[in-house]
Amino acid sequence: MMTQTPAHPDLISLQGIGKRYQLAGQELSILNDVCLSIASGDSCGILGASGSGKSTLLNILGLLDLPNCGQYHFAGHDIFKASPDELAAIRNRQIGFVFQSFNLLPRLSALDNVALPLSYRGVSRHESVEQAQRMLEQVGLAERAHHRPADLSGGQRQRVAIARALVGKPSVILADEPTGNLDSSTAQEIMDLLLTLNREQQVTLIIVTHDAHIAERLERKILVRNGVVHEAERL
Amino acid sequence: MSLRVEQSLSQLLHEAFISLRTLGKRSILALLGIVIGSSSVVALINIGHNAAVDAAMIFKDMGTDTLVAQFPPKGGSNVPMRTRLDLDSVRLAVPGIAHIGALSLFSGPIVFHGRTTNANLVGSTPDIHAAMRLVMREGRFLSAFDANETYAVIGDQLAQALGAPGDPLKLGDRVRINDYLFLIVGILHNQPRAMLMPVQANESLFIPAEGMRRVYASPQISNVIIRAAPGQDMERIARDTAAALQPQLTEHDVDITVPQQMIDGMTRQSRTFAYLLLALGAISLVGGGVGVMNVMLMNVSERRREIGIRMALGARQRDIRNLFLLEAVTLTAVGALCGAVLGMTAAWLYAWLSGWAFALAVAALPLGVGSTLLVGLFFGIYPAVSASRLQPVEALRDE
Repeated sequence: MMTQTPAHPDLISLQGIGKRYQLAGQELSILNDVCLSIASGDSCGILGASGSGKSTLLNILGLLDLPNCGQYHFAGHDIFKASPDELAAIRNRQIGFVFQSFNLLPRLSALDNVALPLSYRGVSRHESVEQAQRMLEQVGLAERAHHRPADLSGGQRQRVAIARALVGKPSVILADEPTGNLDSSTAQEIMDLLLTLNREQQVTLIIVTHDAHIAERLERKILVRNGVVHEAERL
Repeated sequence: MSLRVEQSLSQLLHEAFISLRTLGKRSILALLGIVIGSSSVVALINIGHNAAVDAAMIFKDMGTDTLVAQFPPKGGSNVPMRTRLDLDSVRLAVPGIAHIGALSLFSGPIVFHGRTTNANLVGSTPDIHAAMRLVMREGRFLSAFDANETYAVIGDQLAQALGAPGDPLKLGDRVRINDYLFLIVGILHNQPRAMLMPVQANESLFIPAEGMRRVYASPQISNVIIRAAPGQDMERIARDTAAALQPQLTEHDVDITVPQQMIDGMTRQSRTFAYLLLALGAISLVGGGVGVMNVMLMNVSERRREIGIRMALGARQRDIRNLFLLEAVTLTAVGALCGAVLGMTAAWLYAWLSGWAFALAVAALPLGVGSTLLVGLFFGIYPAVSASRLQPVEALRDE
């Protein structure tokens, strides 16, 4: 379905990416000349103090925000040349998001939350609910399918969010502090789940964190400091 | 990458209903505005229609084959109108006249067995009987041979007013007008009200035109009533009759009203009235639409985060727009249906209270429901488009 141009064998390739904001008349530079490439199947941690620009980097990686300059190719697509609809389609098919605050839709049941990305592909309701049910089984929440997010614990909510990220069979999971709102044992379980997915299904894993213990478990560590990106030695 | 299929309709409707249900109280309030607007459009169209039907029926009772001639004085002339007209020559001059009769009117007290009632005293030529479609209950109408007699024919309600329990007014009784006693030779059946007629037969006492001088010193002919033979061109008869009558008059004009013209005028008037009501309904509908827009804008701003999440999950701008548009239209559709039921009930109630026959106006339902849906669509578009224009990263940002 997707043709990969041979010039960019990596799944994600950023070159000279810069991001600036206008704030109260002052130009604020968030990211400077970021060069980064991530191959399919990698597991990376993006580390940095708050305000270092790591969330902005994640938003750019996830096509939620557009950089001001540079070059960004995602799975062979030039992001600067893509229309908003094409960006939406890439997010829908290639990227699964896991947020710190879960970001489940409170009105919808766990099952409907998980089924939501499929509905934006035109999958019929019956079929998308079936796939969502299978995905909930995979994260161990089959019997909670019809609960609203408010009736679930934090760990369960994050599992639902992971199921939602996975249901579309994405090539990348982007997780923004996925364990930030969870207690340590639940955090451990969620990390295990994510790493298992990375190992067994070759899903590329990109996790923003400031927790060194989490970073330890990932293959690559990308440090963001004052808008500049360094890569720590690979394990 | 553009090989995307549209979201399935069942999925869209499912989400719209979940959202409206959870919107709760606020959507009910917005619904109220829409229901009022939609029901007033439906009710007003229907009430206007029923009023027109009823008005037309009043005129139809009288029959469209009747003409009423009046004789307004020319210019500033104050010469009294003639006391008699040569109607036979008119009948000869104008083919197609079935009946023609003249009326001279006076009103005064009538006394019977000590009871007094005010009534119309109508000096009539014999042909008035047929020209005004008078139906006898008892006795007979005045004839040409009664010209010099003190005979009278009495209307139904007047007869009842003069009678008393145990002492009803009967044929052969005498009623007194001034110093004359008139012998009742006929009692009329109750007549339906005829709007165009100069007198209401029910409240009148008919006496021979020649005898009007007995009660009134200078009787004048006030009207001529003409009934055409079936299938005649009423406009032509009116014109020819006016032409035939005019030579007999020096100081007066002839003014003949054609009932069809009045019915047309009345219909036009009631149509104007209906448009006015419709405009009122439309204004309240716009008010309801503003309510919907308000709720939807609140809805969008409250659900910014949700919009961001949906965009992160791959919703395109048009998916977000459709989501909110469908919610607005679903909301107005529910309002339109409630409004249609309420409007019909109101129209029926109004018809019942006014004593009209309830008839469903063909246009009322499609127009009421259709315009409501259009209003929902119109006022839903702005909030929906503004939601779809949000940038994902801004929508996702915490407030």
